[in-house]
Amino acid sequence: MKEMVSSVKRDYIVNLASQGKRLDGRTLDQLREIEVRRGVIGTAQGSALVKLGNTQVMVGVKIEHGEPFPDTPTSGILVVNAELLPLASPLFEPGPPNEDAIELARVVDRTIRESQAIDLEKLCIKEGEDVWAVFIDIYVLDHDGNLIDSSVMASVAALHDIKPPKDPEWTLPTFPIRRKPVAVTVAKVNGVLMVDAGLEEENVMDARLTISTLEDGTICAMQKGGSGFLERREIEEAYELARKCGEEIRKKL
Amino acid sequence: MLHVKNRELVVPGRLLAEGKYLLGEGTFREGNGIFSSVVGLAEVREKRVSVISLQGRYIPREKDFVIGIVTDTHPFGWIVDLNSPYTGNLMVSDLVGRKIDVFKEDISKFLRIGDAIAAEVKMVDERHRVQLLARGRGLGRIERGRLIEISPAKVPRVIGKRGSMLKVLQDSSGCRLQVGLNGRIVIKGGDPKMINSVVEAILLIEREAHLSGLTDRIKAKLEGMR
Amino acid sequence: MERPERLIVDGRRLDGRRPDELRPLQIKAGVLKRADGSAYVELGKNKVLVAVYGPKEMHPRHLQQSDVAVLRCRYNMAPFSVEERKRPGPDRRSIEISKVVREALEPVLFLHLYPRAAIDVFIEILQADAGTRTTGITAAAVALADAGIPMRDLVAGISVGKADGTVLLDLMKEEDQWGEADMPIAVMPRRKLVTLLQMDGNFTPDEFRQALDLAFKGIERVYEAQKRALREKYVPASEEER
Repeated sequence: MKEMVSSVKRDYIVNLASQGKRLDGRTLDQLREIEVRRGVIGTAQGSALVKLGNTQVMVGVKIEHGEPFPDTPTSGILVVNAELLPLASPLFEPGPPNEDAIELARVVDRTIRESQAIDLEKLCIKEGEDVWAVFIDIYVLDHDGNLIDSSVMASVAALHDIKPPKDPEWTLPTFPIRRKPVAVTVAKVNGVLMVDAGLEEENVMDARLTISTLEDGTICAMQKGGSGFLERREIEEAYELARKCGEEIRKKL
Repeated sequence: MLHVKNRELVVPGRLLAEGKYLLGEGTFREGNGIFSSVVGLAEVREKRVSVISLQGRYIPREKDFVIGIVTDTHPFGWIVDLNSPYTGNLMVSDLVGRKIDVFKEDISKFLRIGDAIAAEVKMVDERHRVQLLARGRGLGRIERGRLIEISPAKVPRVIGKRGSMLKVLQDSSGCRLQVGLNGRIVIKGGDPKMINSVVEAILLIEREAHLSGLTDRIKAKLEGMR
Repeated sequence: MERPERLIVDGRRLDGRRPDELRPLQIKAGVLKRADGSAYVELGKNKVLVAVYGPKEMHPRHLQQSDVAVLRCRYNMAPFSVEERKRPGPDRRSIEISKVVREALEPVLFLHLYPRAAIDVFIEILQADAGTRTTGITAAAVALADAGIPMRDLVAGISVGKADGTVLLDLMKEEDQWGEADMPIAVMPRRKLVTLLQMDGNFTPDEFRQALDLAFKGIERVYEAQKRALREKYVPASEEER
């Protein structure tokens, strides 16, 4: 789902990038302004609205009873779903999630699951029969680029906002969340790497690499996207950017 | 510097030559190098390096002789399947050779859906939209004969160097062949048994197009049949 | 199935391999009659069949791109390919994999040669034992070349990961299931350009670098096997040695 970009605009962005500059005056390693609001939805156990520049993503977390998977009978369930709402972009259409929405949800899922930020083992009610299911619903409200990073931010913020459900079977003092995984997506525009690409930059990028890191700099998830390629040194450079910008983002969550 | 022998089997990404060589078909340039873009046989002619692909669909080029099949009509002519990702458009004036007032005259008497035609590619634009010409010697509706389809990449072998294989196929069988570059071939002749032998010979050429010494084997095979 | 106490004993893996060893790899080009190009790959217990159709006329027409061919990929697991029957048809996992596989193959193709056309790649996982998406890419690249579609190189895929704290090449099912990290990667080998990179689990920066080193080594081996398969379709192995 890419917008048609005029060659004039493409050349302009590419040209700026080759000088280390960007459309909105940022440097290549500079994030847009981040605003995080928690507790925005009363009917959800946890919620957050993240603004990353003009991109807006809302996440609501619901906690309900669920049946555990047979191979993990004592483990809670994590379900991540993403909706690219038609109100967020003229290119988004109603209907079942397309491959972009599915990719977004699955990258957020992997980031949170593999970071072990949620202690799913604590979410067991009755082994093999009843566990807590954590539903993360990502609602993209305004698409101005970099939906992956903003969705991970909103999900992690919402998970840290959770108030336990009013249910007699909930016995934990607090929701068992312990880490703050952060995704940083590095876009490659005509061979130049930049973080937090805006929509217009995304529309001309060759490829992107998302790297999700934890507080100690370990990597918990990665995803390359786009029809271009990456050299090894670009991958290593992207990791350094992910670590540095990840620190900045984590402070806001 | 040349990195490949003539008629060597190469695969995509194989470095063929460096320096002052010319790009032939089936190749691309990257930096100072010329690389193969397809699986095929390398061919070096003076300074030009090419790779003759052993597979691939037919892509129309101007002046190509093709055999098409009419799949649809429109008010001014026909849409023609070319055994290709791209269909051909045949205007009625490019078939009949005179001005036709399509509002007065019913053009379905000239061609019907399912008819085979022999045509020349008149024009291809940059979006690969194809105009056909089916008027003139050897062109137009095909009335009779046996139509077979082979891989378009193998057609050059059926024709042979300067038509040598085609000559063998015709002379030693007594049949007449129309060979479309799009992989469709029409065989005409009196003796159905001989037509069958030609079909077999063509399928053998298709299977063994990458091997040498084919012409002599085909000749012996067909002459043995007579 | 129970997790074995250890996945690596005395430097050997459950199937006897060393950490930097590939499973047995077999590639065959041109295995289907009707397809324009095809390939069959076995990597360990993985069995993957790929067909390529095209370039062909794009239907529906509104999906045509006026200046390039559109590449479409479908990664699909057979219901009988895994221990417990998989419900047929696309699920979220296969839709995502189809997308990243397409993006892994696009950089290698000269798509502008075929405006308005479509190229379809059908990847069928017949038997799965971890690393199916990368094995699918390895097979798809051979099938595309077999279809005569112009390419600047092949694309070779392999997975690397970590189990029992050791960085490993080419994870098998047990290592994928119980290990600590899995990183599928696809590369255009001639210039070592990465076209697919995913990862889940846990890597320190050092382990990540080791994993990349190992992956590039594995890719070389896969690449050699791909090239051999394409040649063997025309020149049987025995003849080539002569």
